Amino acid sequence: MVESLKAATFEVLETMFFLFPENLEEAATLFHGPGLRAWVPVEGPKNFRVGLTVPLPLAQEMAANFLGLEKDRVTPENLEDVVKETANMVAGSFFIKEQVPKDFNLKPPEAIRLDLDSQHWEENSHHLLLAVEDLGLEVFLEKTK
Amino acid sequence: MAYNVLIVDDSATMRALVRKVLNISGLDLGECFEGANGREALEILQRNWIDLVLSDLHMPEMDGAALVRAMRQDHLWQTIPVVLITTEGRQEVLAPLSDCSIQGYIRKPFRPEDIKEKLQNILGEAWVPHGRELEGCDF
Repeated sequence: MVESLKAATFEVLETMFFLFPENLEEAATLFHGPGLRAWVPVEGPKNFRVGLTVPLPLAQEMAANFLGLEKDRVTPENLEDVVKETANMVAGSFFIKEQVPKDFNLKPPEAIRLDLDSQHWEENSHHLLLAVEDLGLEVFLEKTK
Repeated sequence: MAYNVLIVDDSATMRALVRKVLNISGLDLGECFEGANGREALEILQRNWIDLVLSDLHMPEMDGAALVRAMRQDHLWQTIPVVLITTEGRQEVLAPLSDCSIQGYIRKPFRPEDIKEKLQNILGEAWVPHGRELEGCDF
């Protein structure tokens, strides 16, 4: 399942942002400062969410590439919107790769701002840590109530 | 002929991206309208002449499927081509929409060329390259 999540992430970042993630053992050290976390709630026989966390500079890079703007012209609304849309696309691509049945529904994405230094970063079967241009990218799949 | 296009997506950033792609696609673009959901799209359709609708599927208030069904029940709007731009790629979810006369799907993530190719297929001979090409752009 984590392989599908990784493949979905690579597909979205490469196609929409021209960014190329890498697997790095030290990826956990690349999360610092302010960041954004976005996820797509999934409702169905089991509830879960698919999401990602990025440092602010990576969100700025993504938004600039996505909209064809200079980084200093990217607005805070653009940042949140792009990270949410990225989570949406990763979830959609993951659903296809895992052939998730139609009784699981993708809900509108949500996002929060957070301090990355206050979080614990560890890769496991449902959390993937990647590096994108020397910045961290977490992709996750979590059960919810 | 310049085409008036309606872009429907709850993400303002995605609407801006689609508008940007249209601008460089070669389509002879007239006015470009934007709506955040199906309800807003119907209001825009009531007030304006629209030649093509590009809509997201999953949206709050009124989703893309409900929008297309409403359009197909109105004699003025039933022939307007609709293309869904969506993260949804599961055939078992998309198949029930085939009775709505949707002209095509573009799955996110997409390349700008995907939109151009889809519009060329839909508009066919009516496609008029407008001197703005994708090649060499900084997308």
